[in-house]
Amino acid sequence: MIQFTKNAQVSLAIVLVCAVFPAITQAEETDPNADAEGIAFFEKKIRPVLVEQCFKCHSEEGDKIKGGLLLDNRDAILRGGNSGHAVVPGNLQESLLFTAITYADEDYEMPPKRKLPEAVIADFEKWILMGAPDPRKADKVMPITSLTIDIEAGREHWAYQAPKMPDLPEVKQTEWPSSKIDRFVLAELEEKGLQPSAEADKMTLLRRVYFDLAGLPPTIEEVRGFLKDEDPKAYEKVVDRLLESEHFGERWGRHWLDVARYAESSGKEANLTYPFAWRYRDYVIDSFNADKPYDEFLTEQIAGDLLHSDSPEERAENLIATGFLAMGPKSLNEGNLRQFTMDQVDEQIDTVTQAVLATTVACARCHDHKFDPIPTKDYYSLAGIFLSTDTYYGTVNSLGVRRGSDLMVLPVKDKNPTAPSYTLGEIIDMEYQLYQQTERQKELQSQAREMQRAGDDPGNIRLQLLALNSRISDLQSKIASVDDEGQPRPFVMGVMDKLTPADANVLVRGDIDQPTDQVPRGFVQVLYTGEAPAIPDNQSGRLELAQWITDDANPLTARVMVNRVWHYLFGKGLVTSVDNFGTTGQAPSHPELLDYLALRFQKEGWSIKTLIREIVLSSTYRQSSDFDKEAFLADADNALLWRMSPRRLDAESLRDAMLAASGKLDTQPPHGSVVASAGNGLVGRTIDESIVEKEKDYRSVYLPVIRDLLPESLDVFDFADPGMVSGTREITNVPSQALYMMNNPFVISQADALAKRIVAEKEKPIDRITLAYALTMSRMPTEGEMKTTLAYFKRFIAAAEAEGKDLDAARDLAVSAFCQALYGSAEFRYLN
Amino acid sequence: MKLHRSPNRVALPDGLGMSRRAALKSLSSGFGYLAFAGLSTMAAEKAQSPLAPKAPHFQPRAKRVIFLCMRGGPSHLDTFDYKPELKKHSGEPGKYGARGGAKLLGSPFEFKPSGKSGLHISELYSKVAEHADDLCIVNSMATDLPNHPQAVVQMHTGNFQFVRPSLGAWTLYGLGTVNENLPGFITINPSIGFGGAQNYGSGFLPAIYQGTAIGQERRSLRSAKVPNISNSRLSSDLQRIQLDLVQSLNREKLARESYQPEVEGVIESYELAFRMQDEVPKVMDLSKEPQKIQEMYGIGNDTTDDFGRQCLLARRFAEAGVRFIEISQGNWDHHRNLKASLTNNAAQTDQPIHALLTDLKQRDMLKDTLVIWAGEFGRTPHAQGTDGRDHNNKGFSLWMAGGGVRGGTTYGSTDEFGYEAVDGKVHIHDWHATILHLMGLDHERLTYRYAGRDFRLTDVYGDVVKGVMA
Repeated sequence: MIQFTKNAQVSLAIVLVCAVFPAITQAEETDPNADAEGIAFFEKKIRPVLVEQCFKCHSEEGDKIKGGLLLDNRDAILRGGNSGHAVVPGNLQESLLFTAITYADEDYEMPPKRKLPEAVIADFEKWILMGAPDPRKADKVMPITSLTIDIEAGREHWAYQAPKMPDLPEVKQTEWPSSKIDRFVLAELEEKGLQPSAEADKMTLLRRVYFDLAGLPPTIEEVRGFLKDEDPKAYEKVVDRLLESEHFGERWGRHWLDVARYAESSGKEANLTYPFAWRYRDYVIDSFNADKPYDEFLTEQIAGDLLHSDSPEERAENLIATGFLAMGPKSLNEGNLRQFTMDQVDEQIDTVTQAVLATTVACARCHDHKFDPIPTKDYYSLAGIFLSTDTYYGTVNSLGVRRGSDLMVLPVKDKNPTAPSYTLGEIIDMEYQLYQQTERQKELQSQAREMQRAGDDPGNIRLQLLALNSRISDLQSKIASVDDEGQPRPFVMGVMDKLTPADANVLVRGDIDQPTDQVPRGFVQVLYTGEAPAIPDNQSGRLELAQWITDDANPLTARVMVNRVWHYLFGKGLVTSVDNFGTTGQAPSHPELLDYLALRFQKEGWSIKTLIREIVLSSTYRQSSDFDKEAFLADADNALLWRMSPRRLDAESLRDAMLAASGKLDTQPPHGSVVASAGNGLVGRTIDESIVEKEKDYRSVYLPVIRDLLPESLDVFDFADPGMVSGTREITNVPSQALYMMNNPFVISQADALAKRIVAEKEKPIDRITLAYALTMSRMPTEGEMKTTLAYFKRFIAAAEAEGKDLDAARDLAVSAFCQALYGSAEFRYLN
Repeated sequence: MKLHRSPNRVALPDGLGMSRRAALKSLSSGFGYLAFAGLSTMAAEKAQSPLAPKAPHFQPRAKRVIFLCMRGGPSHLDTFDYKPELKKHSGEPGKYGARGGAKLLGSPFEFKPSGKSGLHISELYSKVAEHADDLCIVNSMATDLPNHPQAVVQMHTGNFQFVRPSLGAWTLYGLGTVNENLPGFITINPSIGFGGAQNYGSGFLPAIYQGTAIGQERRSLRSAKVPNISNSRLSSDLQRIQLDLVQSLNREKLARESYQPEVEGVIESYELAFRMQDEVPKVMDLSKEPQKIQEMYGIGNDTTDDFGRQCLLARRFAEAGVRFIEISQGNWDHHRNLKASLTNNAAQTDQPIHALLTDLKQRDMLKDTLVIWAGEFGRTPHAQGTDGRDHNNKGFSLWMAGGGVRGGTTYGSTDEFGYEAVDGKVHIHDWHATILHLMGLDHERLTYRYAGRDFRLTDVYGDVVKGVMA
């Protein structure tokens, strides 16, 4: 920490004080060592066995330390080795040491040469149940460091100060502003001596607002209607209609899905499908369409399981919402359960704090945050909340997959299930198979043990067992996936509170083997003043976390969301680092406007539609994107908003616009998803990768999102990486995109469809050309374009005939290639 | 912009229809296309293809770069920075670490003097060590932050706070490329995180200077190809006619809107894409390489297959005239399991890099190809846990070989334990300045005027490190 400050280019509002505290040994609720009898039992029955049977491989004095497990002192035993806790006092099942000495799992049979006598095993059982008393203390006291961050000084950072409702600035050109937003923008422009741009022409404005609110181009009829409508409120009417359209949720829901790193698989080394993730996707789309207040929307996603509900339907919705916490990327092949759990908690903390607070709390996992006033302690306060939470994400254990999980069951019936059902006959058959395989498993296990005892290598049998275990898991999951009648259970991903919530220990440098002080569950200190909200002992604290996040006093939540909305409407946020409001992020270009929007957002009941409506009706949004040399020289990045920045269509809009123009677009949402139909499995093995590229005519938001295997139509045009919170997307302009537009079969098929459409609808070549322009660009071709197009047809058809094609074929190809050219043109791909 | 340019030096590609040049000329004489010449260097140079070769500022030592990017922060202490003192005091508390007194960790690997020069190189890189006499190991690197995303982005663009053009983009902008049928800047297997496309982005430079990515992190390169590289139904002639239509629509839009760098980018990327269709599949077809060569690169061996393919592709692209090629290997972030993981990473790269150097040499290409091996930072001399090292931005190593590099030498040094660069410290900006220098570019003169200001790769920093040059 200290080492970097000299070089850091950013000024830090953090004061570092180095202090060394002795570690406090893990606090137990009841200290079993207070019991003299227990100690005596340990000394007599347990210690000698440990020394004789185990220390050779599990002691600091021994020859070697296997599996990272030491049994030298109580701390070491409780901590355990690479596989987890050796002993959990009072809990035989969780105590791996007991599993090992009872030979209950063929992977951990200890001592390996010969099982301990039953009487000794019984002693261990008794000892663990009495709380594993053990007087041996770790002789080395582990020092831990606390770099004290000055939280008070940290609060000076603009983003941690409560937003204040600013006075409306005075402006000279009083006729330009049509909303309060415009006053803030204009004041800045005037101060720099710049002019706002004129309003965009009607057609440009219509296309802009259609793509921004619905992600689709207007139809020809809609363009015509709007151009004809002379009502001064014509534009406002369009905006209101779009806000009510179901396409609004598909467009804006997708924005949130970027932020929520939505995906239908685990990603990472073993990429397993999440066949029920689509429920969350639909929940998000529905929430945006219903204009669910943003505070409610967040609360459901963080703590839906803890909310009161009046009906099973509401309960179901609340549970689906918590999928937000469950669908992160996971290393399902992680061998160490505690490592896996801490990584999952880390991912949850990272997602929640970045998505909602634009704060990178996860940086404080291993050390105090290097830039922001977030001590490691705060991280583990949050970690306690998520450690007190069970996460259900599905996936089945199989070869190389060790961390499969259950799913939750919805309290309502799936009207139209996506998973397969089984007949009673099939179920009985599977159960019989399961019985056979389990018998075979036992047989093989005992064979392996005998071989081992005889000193032979049971490697071959082990391999058979591994394959068998996979089959057994698969059968079990299939049987469990249906109810007694063979109907698929309505599974859902999500979270629930653990039965016994507990605080977390700070881990030195994030190392699971170095737990130190316990910290009470809580929140990020710098973001609240006064008392921290209290967390009840018997709850995880997620509900309180959600309440704290959505409290009007939280300085970040509203600001972060209005900034996201601004970013999606202007191509750039008022704070350009939309996922980072910390000290390494960028300062707002219009701090007062940001505060105005944030406070108004809260006051209007956190209504996203109201917010969007106000912005798109502003003169600022309605400006043309025309170039202006003087303004450009003064403000090339358009930070002051002297015009609307020209923008590239995102991947979904581009694909949907092609489908819309060709007439192929199926506006009906599909039920479930391709991944849901494919079911559980390992991508690339049991799940065929080709499912991703199967051609679909529905909107892009419903395409499968498998981590590391995105559909090409999305991937080539910079779709968000679903591995992390993505408030912005890359905007590249590379030959691979040109190649896609030139050669990709999907583009060609859409060109064919558009060609068919214009030929079917119009007779004369000129009318066909005009229709194609109208369908793709929402306008008539210019005279120059018409001339160029006609010349193209002549040249193309002649060349095609010269290559030996007959006239009809040459014409057909020319029309389709023309349609494709329109798709490929910069005008189709960019928005003014 | 002070680069010397002669507009007629290079023949322009004729697009079968109207040539780009004719088209742009006709535009410039009409609606004031060049009226904004002062806004952007690009506009002033419109009369010429932006990828055409350009004269450097002075005689270059290297014509192209192959950058072996080792993502994650490889430990210099276990590879190229020999620290006997560290080994001697291994296990003792050092003066480092946030709390001070963290235990030192001597390298578990042997260092051997290699080549005539006797450079000390770790046994991990015993094959690369055979080329010791070609390497200049810089032991005194430093970067601003010990954080992956910032350090990776700084290594590529010089600046992690703002989106800036990448090193490859600057090089391409400064020199153009000799093969107009291939992108001038190719990045193989780039990371998704750590700044993502920023690391091969063009920032405010024209979009055509952006790197073209082939393959993707975590995916096997075996199946990597440039997708959509051929058309299923149009001959090249017919596709050209189609493309001429697209381009005339684009130019009309450009003329309407006067200054639209994104549309210019679209126009240029179509031309490049069209030309790539012929050339890329040929260059990427490794099966054309003799079996012996493939084996030399370790192709077919599970451990080395992926990086071997990258190295061989890099050589083929270099041969075909690509200006800047980056290939990469991730997973160097060894907080834990250092010994096993480092061994593994080195095994994946040692033989392929050895083969690349050998191959370049036998083709007489090493003399004007600059090969760089570098990660975003190094690691601490003290242990993290018992078998790991933490990030270290204050001192680390990289090596360069080939074009203009003084082989068989080390440059600069860290302290006795390898914690901090103490002698001849080379900051990323200095390193960038040096690379440009070897390419014949003066980092202070390679500027791009954007929004009324001249920008440089090195901002206001950077000193050319003369000591690494032959």
